[in-house]
Amino acid sequence: MKQTGKKVLLLCFWLLLLFVMQQTQIMSNTLKLILQYIAIYSIMVLGINIINGYLGIFSLAHAGIMAIGGYTSSLISMYLLKAPFFFPINLLLGGIVGMIFGLIVALPSFTVKGDYLAIITLGFSLLVQSLLQNIDAVGASRGLRPIPKNTNIFWVGFTLLLAIILVKRFVNSKYGRSLLAIRNDPVAAELVSVDVKHAKLVAFGLSSFLIALSGGLICHLLSYTNPGAYGYSLIIEGLIMVYLGGVGSITGSILGATIWQILVETLRFIGMWRWILGAIILISLMIFKPTGLFGNKEFSLQWLRQIMRNRKEKRAIHDE
Amino acid sequence: MMNKRPLIQFDSVGMYFGGIKAVDDVSFSVDEGQIFGIIGPNGAGKTTIFNVLSGVYVPTKGVVYADSIPLNNLPPHKIIGTIVGRTFQNIRLFNDRTVLDNLKIAQYCKIHYGLKDVLLVTKKFKEEEERLEAEAMEVLQFLELSDKAHIIAGTLPYGAQRRVEIARALVSKPKVLLLDEPAAGMNSNEIDELNVFITKIKSDFNLTVLLVEHQMKLVMQVCDEILVLNFGKKLVIGKPEEIRNNRQVLEAYLGKAKMQEGR
Repeated sequence: MKQTGKKVLLLCFWLLLLFVMQQTQIMSNTLKLILQYIAIYSIMVLGINIINGYLGIFSLAHAGIMAIGGYTSSLISMYLLKAPFFFPINLLLGGIVGMIFGLIVALPSFTVKGDYLAIITLGFSLLVQSLLQNIDAVGASRGLRPIPKNTNIFWVGFTLLLAIILVKRFVNSKYGRSLLAIRNDPVAAELVSVDVKHAKLVAFGLSSFLIALSGGLICHLLSYTNPGAYGYSLIIEGLIMVYLGGVGSITGSILGATIWQILVETLRFIGMWRWILGAIILISLMIFKPTGLFGNKEFSLQWLRQIMRNRKEKRAIHDE
Repeated sequence: MMNKRPLIQFDSVGMYFGGIKAVDDVSFSVDEGQIFGIIGPNGAGKTTIFNVLSGVYVPTKGVVYADSIPLNNLPPHKIIGTIVGRTFQNIRLFNDRTVLDNLKIAQYCKIHYGLKDVLLVTKKFKEEEERLEAEAMEVLQFLELSDKAHIIAGTLPYGAQRRVEIARALVSKPKVLLLDEPAAGMNSNEIDELNVFITKIKSDFNLTVLLVEHQMKLVMQVCDEILVLNFGKKLVIGKPEEIRNNRQVLEAYLGKAKMQEGR
Protein backbone atom coordinates (compact mmCIF):
# COMPACT_ATOMS: atom_id res chain seq x y z
CA MET A 1 0.00 0.00 0.00
CA LYS A 2 2.80 2.36 1.00
CA GLN A 3 4.60 1.47 -2.21
CA THR A 4 1.70 2.43 -4.44
CA GLY A 5 1.34 5.72 -2.56
CA LYS A 6 4.97 6.47 -3.20
CA LYS A 7 4.61 5.63 -6.86
CA VAL A 8 1.56 7.87 -7.31
CA LEU A 9 3.42 10.70 -5.57
CA LEU A 10 6.41 10.24 -7.89
CA LEU A 11 4.11 10.21 -10.91
CA CYS A 12 2.40 13.43 -9.83
CA PHE A 13 5.77 15.04 -9.22
CA TRP A 14 7.00 14.02 -12.68
CA LEU A 15 3.88 15.38 -14.38
CA LEU A 16 4.07 18.61 -12.40
CA LEU A 17 7.73 19.01 -13.29
CA LEU A 18 6.93 18.48 -16.97
CA PHE A 19 4.08 20.95 -16.78
CA VAL A 20 6.27 23.60 -15.17
CA MET A 21 9.01 23.01 -17.73
CA GLN A 22 6.53 23.44 -20.52
CA GLN A 23 4.72 26.51 -19.20
CA THR A 24 7.60 28.58 -17.86
CA GLN A 25 10.86 29.80 -19.31
CA ILE A 26 12.85 27.96 -16.66
CA MET A 27 15.23 26.69 -19.32
CA SER A 28 16.26 27.91 -22.74
CA ASN A 29 14.45 26.65 -25.82
CA THR A 30 17.57 24.90 -27.06
CA LEU A 31 17.87 22.94 -23.86
CA LYS A 32 14.19 22.07 -24.03
CA LEU A 33 14.66 20.86 -27.58
CA ILE A 34 17.63 18.70 -26.67
CA LEU A 35 15.72 17.19 -23.74
CA GLN A 36 12.86 16.38 -26.07
CA TYR A 37 15.22 14.75 -28.55
CA ILE A 38 16.73 12.66 -25.77
CA ALA A 39 13.33 11.54 -24.53
CA ILE A 40 11.97 10.74 -28.00
CA TYR A 41 15.02 8.71 -28.96
CA SER A 42 14.88 6.99 -25.56
CA ILE A 43 11.41 5.77 -26.44
CA MET A 44 12.67 4.51 -29.78
CA VAL A 45 15.68 2.80 -28.22
CA LEU A 46 13.46 1.12 -25.61
CA GLY A 47 11.45 -0.26 -28.51
CA ILE A 48 14.51 -1.45 -30.44
CA ASN A 49 15.96 -2.97 -27.30
CA ILE A 50 13.04 -5.36 -26.87
CA ILE A 51 13.90 -7.03 -30.17
CA ASN A 52 17.64 -6.48 -30.53
CA GLY A 53 18.38 -6.71 -26.81
CA TYR A 54 15.98 -8.91 -24.91
CA LEU A 55 14.95 -11.17 -27.77
CA GLY A 56 18.41 -11.09 -29.32
CA ILE A 57 17.21 -10.83 -32.92
CA PHE A 58 19.26 -8.48 -35.07
CA SER A 59 16.44 -6.47 -36.62
CA LEU A 60 16.86 -3.36 -38.74
CA ALA A 61 13.16 -2.66 -39.21
CA HIS A 62 13.08 0.30 -36.82
CA ALA A 63 13.55 2.94 -39.51
CA GLY A 64 10.59 1.62 -41.46
CA ILE A 65 8.38 1.32 -38.39
CA MET A 66 9.30 4.83 -37.26
CA ALA A 67 8.46 6.19 -40.71
CA ILE A 68 5.08 4.45 -40.64
CA GLY A 69 4.29 5.76 -37.17
CA GLY A 70 5.43 9.27 -38.02
CA TYR A 71 3.64 9.47 -41.35
CA THR A 72 0.40 7.97 -40.03
CA SER A 73 0.04 10.32 -37.07
CA SER A 74 1.20 13.31 -39.11
CA LEU A 75 -1.29 12.64 -41.89
CA ILE A 76 -4.10 12.27 -39.39
CA SER A 77 -3.11 15.55 -37.69
CA MET A 78 -2.91 17.34 -41.02
CA TYR A 79 -6.08 16.12 -42.66
CA LEU A 80 -8.42 14.37 -40.22
CA LEU A 81 -8.25 15.27 -36.56
CA LYS A 82 -6.68 18.70 -36.76
CA ALA A 83 -7.44 20.09 -33.31
CA PRO A 84 -4.43 20.02 -30.96
CA PHE A 85 -6.31 18.11 -28.27
CA PHE A 86 -6.62 15.16 -30.66
CA PHE A 87 -2.83 14.89 -30.63
CA PRO A 88 -2.61 12.01 -28.12
CA ILE A 89 -5.17 10.05 -30.14
CA ASN A 90 -3.25 10.67 -33.36
CA LEU A 91 -0.05 9.51 -31.70
CA LEU A 92 -1.78 6.39 -30.45
CA LEU A 93 -3.21 5.66 -33.91
CA GLY A 94 0.27 6.04 -35.39
CA GLY A 95 1.55 3.65 -32.75
CA ILE A 96 -1.12 1.09 -33.52
CA VAL A 97 -0.54 1.20 -37.28
CA GLY A 98 3.19 0.82 -36.61
CA MET A 99 2.41 -2.12 -34.36
CA ILE A 100 0.42 -3.85 -37.09
CA PHE A 101 3.35 -3.53 -39.49
CA GLY A 102 5.63 -4.76 -36.71
CA LEU A 103 3.54 -7.90 -36.42
CA ILE A 104 3.95 -8.47 -40.15
CA VAL A 105 7.72 -8.04 -39.81
CA ALA A 106 7.63 -10.62 -37.01
CA LEU A 107 6.32 -13.33 -39.34
CA PRO A 108 9.61 -14.09 -41.13
CA SER A 109 11.35 -14.30 -37.75
CA PHE A 110 9.54 -17.60 -37.11
CA THR A 111 11.60 -19.41 -39.67
CA VAL A 112 14.49 -17.16 -40.67
CA LYS A 113 17.46 -16.56 -38.42
CA GLY A 114 20.51 -14.35 -38.00
CA ASP A 115 21.97 -12.54 -40.97
CA TYR A 116 19.10 -13.49 -43.24
CA LEU A 117 16.56 -11.91 -40.92
CA ALA A 118 18.74 -8.78 -40.69
CA ILE A 119 18.60 -8.55 -44.48
CA ILE A 120 14.82 -9.06 -44.54
CA THR A 121 14.24 -6.34 -41.94
CA LEU A 122 16.66 -4.01 -43.73
CA GLY A 123 14.69 -4.68 -46.88
CA PHE A 124 11.51 -3.73 -45.03
CA SER A 125 12.97 -0.40 -43.90
CA LEU A 126 14.22 0.46 -47.37
CA LEU A 127 10.93 -0.66 -48.92
CA VAL A 128 8.96 1.70 -46.70
CA GLN A 129 11.37 4.52 -47.51
CA SER A 130 11.13 4.06 -51.26
CA LEU A 131 7.37 3.69 -51.12
CA LEU A 132 7.10 7.01 -49.29
CA GLN A 133 9.47 8.54 -51.81
CA ASN A 134 7.25 7.50 -54.68
CA ILE A 135 3.70 8.05 -53.44
CA ASP A 136 2.63 11.54 -54.43
CA ALA A 137 -0.29 11.60 -52.00
CA VAL A 138 2.12 11.71 -49.07
CA GLY A 139 4.37 14.31 -50.67
CA ALA A 140 6.81 11.89 -52.31
CA SER A 141 10.39 12.93 -51.63
CA ARG A 142 9.32 16.44 -50.58
CA GLY A 143 7.76 14.92 -47.52
CA LEU A 144 5.04 16.36 -45.34
CA ARG A 145 4.77 19.93 -44.14
CA PRO A 146 3.50 21.74 -42.23
CA ILE A 147 2.68 19.22 -39.54
CA PRO A 148 1.08 20.94 -36.53
CA LYS A 149 3.68 21.56 -33.85
CA ASN A 150 1.88 19.61 -31.18
CA THR A 151 4.80 17.92 -29.50
CA ASN A 152 5.88 19.61 -26.33
CA ILE A 153 7.98 18.57 -23.39
CA PHE A 154 4.90 17.52 -21.44
CA TRP A 155 3.73 14.97 -23.97
CA VAL A 156 7.24 13.73 -24.61
CA GLY A 157 7.93 13.24 -20.92
CA PHE A 158 4.57 11.60 -20.40
CA THR A 159 5.10 9.16 -23.28
CA LEU A 160 8.60 8.35 -22.05
CA LEU A 161 7.25 7.52 -18.60
CA LEU A 162 4.55 5.38 -20.17
CA ALA A 163 7.13 3.59 -22.31
CA ILE A 164 9.37 2.89 -19.32
CA ILE A 165 6.47 1.50 -17.29
CA LEU A 166 5.24 -0.65 -20.20
CA VAL A 167 8.67 -2.10 -20.91
CA LYS A 168 9.45 -2.68 -17.25
CA ARG A 169 6.23 -4.58 -16.67
CA PHE A 170 6.61 -6.49 -19.89
CA VAL A 171 10.15 -7.55 -19.08
CA ASN A 172 9.23 -8.77 -15.61
CA SER A 173 6.43 -10.99 -16.87
CA LYS A 174 6.32 -14.39 -18.54
CA TYR A 175 6.87 -12.63 -21.86
CA GLY A 176 10.10 -10.96 -20.81
CA ARG A 177 11.38 -14.17 -19.28
CA SER A 178 10.58 -16.15 -22.39
CA LEU A 179 12.33 -13.58 -24.61
CA LEU A 180 15.53 -14.03 -22.62
CA ALA A 181 15.09 -17.80 -22.84
CA ILE A 182 14.64 -17.61 -26.61
CA ARG A 183 17.78 -15.48 -26.88
CA ASN A 184 19.65 -18.08 -24.86
CA ASP A 185 18.46 -21.26 -26.59
CA PRO A 186 15.40 -21.15 -28.85
CA VAL A 187 15.08 -24.92 -29.11
CA ALA A 188 15.23 -25.47 -25.36
CA ALA A 189 12.77 -22.61 -24.85
CA GLU A 190 10.25 -24.32 -27.09
CA LEU A 191 10.86 -27.63 -25.33
CA VAL A 192 10.07 -26.21 -21.91
CA SER A 193 6.65 -25.10 -23.19
CA VAL A 194 7.37 -21.52 -24.26
CA ASP A 195 5.12 -20.56 -27.16
CA VAL A 196 7.97 -19.05 -29.16
CA LYS A 197 5.84 -17.65 -31.98
CA HIS A 198 3.42 -15.96 -29.63
CA ALA A 199 6.23 -14.48 -27.52
CA LYS A 200 7.93 -13.16 -30.65
CA LEU A 201 4.69 -11.63 -31.92
CA VAL A 202 4.03 -9.85 -28.63
CA ALA A 203 7.61 -8.60 -28.50
CA PHE A 204 7.53 -7.26 -32.06
CA GLY A 205 4.14 -5.68 -31.38
CA LEU A 206 5.22 -3.76 -28.29
CA SER A 207 8.56 -2.84 -29.81
CA SER A 208 6.99 -1.47 -32.97
CA PHE A 209 4.33 0.37 -30.98
CA LEU A 210 7.00 2.29 -29.06
CA ILE A 211 9.13 2.96 -32.14
CA ALA A 212 6.07 4.24 -34.02
CA LEU A 213 5.14 6.50 -31.09
CA SER A 214 8.60 8.04 -31.17
CA GLY A 215 8.16 8.58 -34.92
CA GLY A 216 4.92 10.48 -34.32
CA LEU A 217 6.49 12.60 -31.62
CA ILE A 218 9.49 13.59 -33.69
CA CYS A 219 7.35 14.57 -36.70
CA HIS A 220 5.13 16.79 -34.58
CA LEU A 221 8.22 18.30 -32.97
CA LEU A 222 10.01 19.22 -36.19
CA SER A 223 6.74 20.05 -37.99
CA TYR A 224 8.02 18.49 -41.19
CA THR A 225 9.22 15.10 -42.28
CA ASN A 226 10.55 13.50 -45.43
CA PRO A 227 11.48 9.98 -46.49
CA GLY A 228 15.19 10.84 -46.40
CA ALA A 229 15.07 10.92 -42.61
CA TYR A 230 14.27 7.20 -42.41
CA GLY A 231 17.23 5.72 -44.22
CA TYR A 232 20.52 4.09 -43.34
CA SER A 233 21.57 6.85 -40.99
CA LEU A 234 18.54 6.35 -38.74
CA ILE A 235 19.10 2.59 -38.75
CA ILE A 236 22.73 3.07 -37.72
CA GLU A 237 21.87 5.72 -35.14
CA GLY A 238 19.32 3.41 -33.54
CA LEU A 239 21.87 0.62 -33.33
CA ILE A 240 24.54 2.92 -31.88
CA MET A 241 22.18 4.07 -29.13
CA VAL A 242 21.09 0.51 -28.26
CA TYR A 243 24.57 -0.97 -28.18
CA LEU A 244 26.03 2.10 -26.48
CA GLY A 245 23.63 1.99 -23.56
CA GLY A 246 23.19 -1.69 -23.00
CA VAL A 247 21.64 -4.69 -24.64
CA GLY A 248 18.64 -5.70 -22.57
CA SER A 249 18.54 -2.84 -20.10
CA ILE A 250 15.96 -0.07 -19.66
CA THR A 251 18.47 2.23 -17.97
CA GLY A 252 20.94 1.44 -20.72
CA SER A 253 18.45 2.41 -23.41
CA ILE A 254 17.90 5.83 -21.91
CA LEU A 255 21.59 6.31 -21.19
CA GLY A 256 22.50 5.35 -24.75
CA ALA A 257 19.99 7.79 -26.23
CA THR A 258 21.15 10.54 -23.85
CA ILE A 259 24.86 10.15 -24.55
CA TRP A 260 24.40 9.93 -28.31
CA GLN A 261 22.01 12.91 -28.53
CA ILE A 262 24.33 15.06 -26.41
CA LEU A 263 27.27 14.04 -28.60
CA VAL A 264 25.30 14.84 -31.74
CA GLU A 265 24.32 18.27 -30.44
CA THR A 266 27.68 19.28 -28.99
CA LEU A 267 29.63 18.02 -31.99
CA ARG A 268 27.54 19.84 -34.56
CA PHE A 269 30.59 21.90 -35.55
CA ILE A 270 32.47 18.89 -36.90
CA GLY A 271 29.68 18.24 -39.41
CA MET A 272 29.75 14.93 -41.22
CA TRP A 273 32.68 13.77 -39.10
CA ARG A 274 30.10 12.92 -36.42
CA TRP A 275 29.27 9.84 -38.44
CA ILE A 276 32.87 8.78 -38.44
CA LEU A 277 32.84 9.18 -34.67
CA GLY A 278 29.61 7.20 -34.41
CA ALA A 279 31.08 4.35 -36.44
CA ILE A 280 34.24 4.38 -34.30
CA ILE A 281 32.14 4.25 -31.12
CA LEU A 282 30.16 1.31 -32.50
CA ILE A 283 33.28 -0.59 -33.54
CA SER A 284 35.08 -0.06 -30.25
CA LEU A 285 31.98 -1.01 -28.27
CA MET A 286 31.70 -4.29 -30.15
CA ILE A 287 35.35 -5.03 -29.42
CA PHE A 288 35.63 -3.89 -25.81
CA LYS A 289 32.13 -4.05 -24.34
CA PRO A 290 29.76 -5.91 -26.64
CA THR A 291 26.85 -5.73 -24.18
CA GLY A 292 27.00 -1.93 -23.93
CA LEU A 293 27.80 0.34 -21.00
CA PHE A 294 25.10 -1.05 -18.75
CA GLY A 295 25.08 -4.60 -20.05
CA ASN A 296 21.85 -6.16 -18.90
CA LYS A 297 21.92 -4.47 -15.49
CA GLU A 298 19.39 -1.93 -14.31
CA PHE A 299 19.96 1.21 -12.33
CA SER A 300 18.38 1.08 -8.91
CA LEU A 301 19.19 2.37 -5.46
CA GLN A 302 20.04 -1.16 -4.41
CA TRP A 303 22.53 -1.47 -7.23
CA LEU A 304 24.11 1.86 -6.25
CA ARG A 305 24.35 0.78 -2.63
CA GLN A 306 26.01 -2.45 -3.67
CA ILE A 307 28.66 -0.54 -5.60
CA MET A 308 29.30 1.80 -2.69
CA ARG A 309 29.61 -1.13 -0.33
CA ASN A 310 32.05 -2.91 -2.62
CA ARG A 311 34.13 0.22 -2.88
CA LYS A 312 34.18 0.68 0.88
CA GLU A 313 35.25 -2.91 1.36
CA LYS A 314 37.99 -2.47 -1.18
CA ARG A 315 39.22 0.63 0.61
CA ALA A 316 39.10 -1.16 3.95
CA ILE A 317 41.23 -3.98 2.54
CA HIS A 318 43.60 -1.41 1.07
CA ASP A 319 43.94 0.39 4.41
CA GLU A 320 44.78 -2.79 6.21
CA MET B 1 -1.83 -49.14 -7.30
CA MET B 2 -0.55 -50.30 -10.67
CA ASN B 3 -3.41 -49.75 -13.05
CA LYS B 4 -2.67 -50.94 -16.53
CA ARG B 5 -3.67 -47.99 -18.64
CA PRO B 6 -1.41 -47.25 -21.60
CA LEU B 7 -0.33 -43.63 -21.27
CA ILE B 8 2.00 -43.45 -24.24
CA GLN B 9 1.34 -45.43 -27.39
CA PHE B 10 3.49 -45.61 -30.50
CA ASP B 11 1.49 -47.04 -33.38
CA SER B 12 3.91 -48.20 -36.11
CA VAL B 13 5.75 -44.88 -36.04
CA GLY B 14 8.30 -44.07 -38.72
CA MET B 15 10.57 -41.04 -38.84
CA TYR B 16 12.50 -40.66 -42.07
CA PHE B 17 15.03 -37.99 -42.90
CA GLY B 18 15.29 -38.25 -46.65
CA GLY B 19 16.51 -41.76 -47.26
CA ILE B 20 17.56 -42.36 -43.67
CA LYS B 21 15.07 -44.23 -41.55
CA ALA B 22 15.91 -42.96 -38.06
CA VAL B 23 12.91 -44.77 -36.63
CA ASP B 24 11.17 -47.41 -38.68
CA ASP B 25 7.82 -48.99 -37.87
CA VAL B 26 8.19 -48.92 -34.10
CA SER B 27 5.20 -49.81 -31.92
CA PHE B 28 5.10 -49.98 -28.17
CA SER B 29 3.04 -48.72 -25.28
CA VAL B 30 4.01 -47.47 -21.87
CA ASP B 31 1.67 -48.03 -18.94
CA GLU B 32 0.93 -45.40 -16.38
CA GLY B 33 3.38 -45.45 -13.49
CA GLN B 34 6.05 -47.43 -15.34
CA ILE B 35 9.71 -46.66 -15.68
CA PHE B 36 10.33 -47.52 -19.30
CA GLY B 37 13.84 -47.82 -20.63
CA ILE B 38 14.90 -47.36 -24.24
CA ILE B 39 18.33 -48.73 -25.10
CA GLY B 40 20.26 -49.51 -28.19
CA PRO B 41 23.61 -48.86 -29.84
CA ASN B 42 24.54 -45.34 -30.98
CA GLY B 43 22.31 -44.08 -33.76
CA ALA B 44 19.56 -46.58 -33.00
CA GLY B 45 16.94 -43.81 -32.90
CA LYS B 46 16.47 -43.41 -29.16
CA THR B 47 16.64 -39.62 -29.05
CA THR B 48 14.53 -39.46 -32.22
CA ILE B 49 11.78 -41.26 -30.31
CA PHE B 50 12.00 -38.57 -27.63
CA ASN B 51 11.90 -35.84 -30.24
CA VAL B 52 8.84 -37.35 -31.86
CA LEU B 53 7.18 -37.68 -28.49
CA SER B 54 7.85 -34.05 -27.56
CA GLY B 55 6.69 -32.67 -30.90
CA VAL B 56 10.04 -31.58 -32.33
CA TYR B 57 9.49 -33.91 -35.26
CA VAL B 58 6.21 -34.86 -36.86
CA PRO B 59 6.46 -38.58 -37.62
CA THR B 60 6.60 -39.51 -41.30
CA LYS B 61 4.16 -42.32 -40.69
CA GLY B 62 2.18 -43.75 -37.81
CA VAL B 63 0.62 -42.04 -34.85
CA VAL B 64 1.80 -41.30 -31.34
CA TYR B 65 -0.86 -41.18 -28.64
CA ALA B 66 -0.42 -39.69 -25.21
CA ASP B 67 -3.32 -40.21 -22.86
CA SER B 68 -5.31 -41.39 -25.92
CA ILE B 69 -4.76 -38.03 -27.66
CA PRO B 70 -2.93 -38.21 -31.01
CA LEU B 71 0.11 -35.95 -30.87
CA ASN B 72 0.67 -35.51 -34.60
CA ASN B 73 0.61 -31.86 -35.59
CA LEU B 74 0.63 -30.57 -32.03
CA PRO B 75 3.48 -28.04 -31.60
CA PRO B 76 6.01 -28.75 -28.82
CA HIS B 77 4.67 -26.07 -26.48
CA LYS B 78 1.26 -27.77 -26.48
CA ILE B 79 2.73 -31.16 -25.64
CA ILE B 80 5.46 -30.12 -23.22
CA GLY B 81 4.29 -29.16 -19.80
CA THR B 82 0.82 -30.59 -19.88
CA ILE B 83 1.77 -34.09 -20.98
CA VAL B 84 5.52 -34.38 -21.27
CA GLY B 85 8.52 -32.88 -19.52
CA ARG B 86 11.99 -33.61 -20.81
CA THR B 87 15.68 -33.23 -20.21
CA PHE B 88 18.41 -33.16 -22.83
CA GLN B 89 21.33 -35.38 -23.68
CA ASN B 90 23.68 -32.41 -23.44
CA ILE B 91 22.35 -30.12 -20.73
CA ARG B 92 20.45 -27.16 -22.17
CA LEU B 93 19.75 -24.79 -19.31
CA PHE B 94 19.35 -21.06 -19.85
CA ASN B 95 22.87 -20.43 -18.66
CA ASP B 96 22.76 -16.71 -17.91
CA ARG B 97 19.50 -16.93 -15.91
CA THR B 98 19.13 -17.96 -12.29
CA VAL B 99 17.91 -21.41 -11.36
CA LEU B 100 14.58 -19.96 -10.25
CA ASP B 101 14.19 -18.08 -13.55
CA ASN B 102 14.89 -21.31 -15.43
CA LEU B 103 11.98 -22.92 -13.64
CA LYS B 104 9.72 -19.92 -14.11
CA ILE B 105 10.37 -19.96 -17.86
CA ALA B 106 9.30 -23.60 -17.93
CA GLN B 107 5.96 -22.69 -16.33
CA TYR B 108 4.95 -20.70 -19.40
CA CYS B 109 2.18 -23.15 -20.25
CA LYS B 110 0.71 -22.91 -16.76
CA ILE B 111 0.36 -19.14 -16.78
CA HIS B 112 -3.05 -17.87 -17.75
CA TYR B 113 -2.62 -14.12 -17.54
CA GLY B 114 -2.51 -12.20 -20.80
CA LEU B 115 -0.78 -9.08 -22.01
CA LYS B 116 -3.51 -6.91 -20.51
CA ASP B 117 -2.83 -8.30 -17.04
CA VAL B 118 0.88 -7.68 -17.48
CA LEU B 119 0.57 -4.08 -18.59
CA LEU B 120 -2.03 -3.15 -15.96
CA VAL B 121 -0.47 -5.29 -13.19
CA THR B 122 -3.83 -6.78 -12.33
CA LYS B 123 -4.55 -8.87 -9.28
CA LYS B 124 -4.54 -11.96 -11.51
CA PHE B 125 -0.99 -11.17 -12.64
CA LYS B 126 0.30 -10.71 -9.11
CA GLU B 127 -1.42 -13.82 -7.80
CA GLU B 128 -0.17 -16.00 -10.63
CA GLU B 129 3.38 -14.72 -10.32
CA GLU B 130 3.29 -15.48 -6.60
CA ARG B 131 1.81 -18.90 -7.21
CA LEU B 132 4.37 -19.92 -9.78
CA GLU B 133 7.26 -18.74 -7.67
CA ALA B 134 5.91 -20.77 -4.75
CA GLU B 135 5.49 -23.83 -6.97
CA ALA B 136 9.00 -23.45 -8.36
CA MET B 137 10.45 -23.17 -4.87
CA GLU B 138 8.51 -26.25 -3.84
CA VAL B 139 10.01 -28.32 -6.64
CA LEU B 140 13.48 -26.97 -5.86
CA GLN B 141 13.03 -27.95 -2.25
CA PHE B 142 12.05 -31.46 -3.28
CA LEU B 143 15.20 -31.82 -5.32
CA GLU B 144 17.31 -30.24 -2.56
CA LEU B 145 18.17 -27.27 -4.71
CA SER B 146 16.42 -24.50 -2.77
CA ASP B 147 19.71 -22.97 -1.62
CA LYS B 148 20.71 -22.60 -5.28
CA ALA B 149 17.53 -20.81 -6.41
CA HIS B 150 19.24 -17.47 -6.99
CA ILE B 151 22.48 -18.76 -8.47
CA ILE B 152 23.13 -18.31 -12.19
CA ALA B 153 22.46 -21.72 -13.70
CA GLY B 154 25.56 -21.77 -15.92
CA THR B 155 27.89 -21.47 -12.93
CA LEU B 156 26.62 -24.60 -11.16
CA PRO B 157 28.62 -27.84 -11.21
CA TYR B 158 27.64 -30.49 -13.72
CA GLY B 159 25.70 -32.74 -11.37
CA ALA B 160 23.64 -29.86 -10.01
CA GLN B 161 22.88 -28.66 -13.54
CA ARG B 162 21.49 -32.11 -14.33
CA ARG B 163 19.21 -31.88 -11.31
CA VAL B 164 18.12 -28.35 -12.22
CA GLU B 165 17.19 -29.66 -15.65
CA ILE B 166 15.04 -32.35 -14.07
CA ALA B 167 13.49 -29.72 -11.78
CA ARG B 168 12.73 -27.59 -14.83
CA ALA B 169 11.06 -30.54 -16.52
CA LEU B 170 8.98 -31.29 -13.43
CA VAL B 171 7.86 -27.79 -12.53
CA SER B 172 4.95 -27.73 -14.97
CA LYS B 173 3.67 -31.01 -13.49
CA PRO B 174 3.79 -33.27 -16.56
CA LYS B 175 2.45 -36.82 -16.60
CA VAL B 176 5.46 -38.25 -18.37
CA LEU B 177 9.10 -37.43 -17.74
CA LEU B 178 11.59 -38.06 -20.54
CA LEU B 179 15.14 -38.47 -19.31
CA ASP B 180 17.75 -38.42 -22.06
CA GLU B 181 20.93 -40.04 -20.76
CA PRO B 182 20.76 -38.67 -17.21
CA ALA B 183 23.72 -40.78 -16.12
CA ALA B 184 26.10 -39.52 -18.82
CA GLY B 185 29.44 -38.70 -17.24
CA MET B 186 28.53 -40.08 -13.82
CA ASN B 187 30.57 -42.54 -11.78
CA SER B 188 29.24 -45.72 -10.20
CA ASN B 189 28.30 -44.08 -6.87
CA GLU B 190 26.50 -41.25 -8.55
CA ILE B 191 24.57 -43.74 -10.67
CA ASP B 192 23.39 -45.50 -7.51
CA GLU B 193 22.20 -42.15 -6.17
CA LEU B 194 20.48 -41.40 -9.45
CA ASN B 195 18.72 -44.74 -9.27
CA VAL B 196 17.21 -43.86 -5.89
CA PHE B 197 16.47 -40.35 -7.11
CA ILE B 198 14.52 -41.47 -10.18
CA THR B 199 12.40 -43.89 -8.16
CA LYS B 200 11.74 -41.16 -5.59
CA ILE B 201 10.61 -38.47 -8.03
CA LYS B 202 8.52 -41.04 -9.86
CA SER B 203 6.42 -41.73 -6.79
CA ASP B 204 6.52 -38.17 -5.40
CA PHE B 205 5.35 -36.55 -8.61
CA ASN B 206 3.15 -39.43 -9.70
CA LEU B 207 5.05 -39.85 -12.93
CA THR B 208 5.61 -42.22 -15.76
CA VAL B 209 9.26 -42.15 -16.73
CA LEU B 210 10.84 -42.82 -20.11
CA LEU B 211 14.56 -43.29 -19.89
CA VAL B 212 17.15 -43.33 -22.65
CA GLU B 213 20.44 -44.52 -21.26
CA HIS B 214 23.70 -46.22 -22.11
CA GLN B 215 24.61 -47.13 -18.54
CA MET B 216 23.30 -50.70 -18.36
CA LYS B 217 23.68 -50.76 -14.60
CA LEU B 218 21.11 -48.00 -14.18
CA VAL B 219 18.73 -49.30 -16.83
CA MET B 220 18.69 -52.84 -15.48
CA GLN B 221 18.14 -51.69 -11.90
CA VAL B 222 15.50 -49.06 -12.36
CA CYS B 223 13.35 -50.00 -15.36
CA ASP B 224 10.17 -52.02 -15.30
CA GLU B 225 10.28 -52.66 -19.01
CA ILE B 226 12.88 -52.09 -21.69
CA LEU B 227 12.66 -51.46 -25.42
CA VAL B 228 15.75 -52.31 -27.44
CA LEU B 229 16.25 -50.50 -30.72
CA ASN B 230 18.75 -51.27 -33.43
CA PHE B 231 19.14 -49.18 -36.60
CA GLY B 232 15.75 -47.58 -35.99
CA LYS B 233 13.92 -50.88 -35.69
CA LYS B 234 12.36 -52.48 -32.66
CA LEU B 235 14.50 -55.44 -31.63
CA VAL B 236 12.79 -56.69 -28.51
CA ILE B 237 10.70 -55.39 -25.67
CA GLY B 238 10.58 -56.99 -22.26
CA LYS B 239 11.51 -57.13 -18.60
CA PRO B 240 15.15 -56.40 -17.68
CA GLU B 241 15.98 -60.06 -16.98
CA GLU B 242 14.58 -61.08 -20.36
CA ILE B 243 16.63 -58.41 -22.09
CA ARG B 244 19.79 -59.34 -20.26
CA ASN B 245 19.75 -62.88 -21.66
CA ASN B 246 18.35 -62.11 -25.07
CA ARG B 247 20.58 -63.34 -27.89
CA GLN B 248 19.50 -60.70 -30.38
CA VAL B 249 20.34 -57.93 -27.94
CA LEU B 250 23.75 -59.36 -27.21
CA GLU B 251 24.44 -59.58 -30.92
CA ALA B 252 23.35 -56.02 -31.53
CA TYR B 253 25.64 -54.75 -28.82
CA LEU B 254 28.49 -57.18 -29.03
CA GLY B 255 28.29 -58.29 -32.62
CA LYS B 256 31.64 -56.87 -33.50
CA ALA B 257 33.37 -58.41 -30.49
CA LYS B 258 32.01 -61.84 -31.38
CA MET B 259 33.26 -61.53 -34.89
CA GLN B 260 36.69 -60.70 -33.60
CA GLU B 261 36.51 -63.66 -31.25
CA GLY B 262 35.70 -65.94 -34.12
CA ARG B 263 38.73 -64.82 -36.09
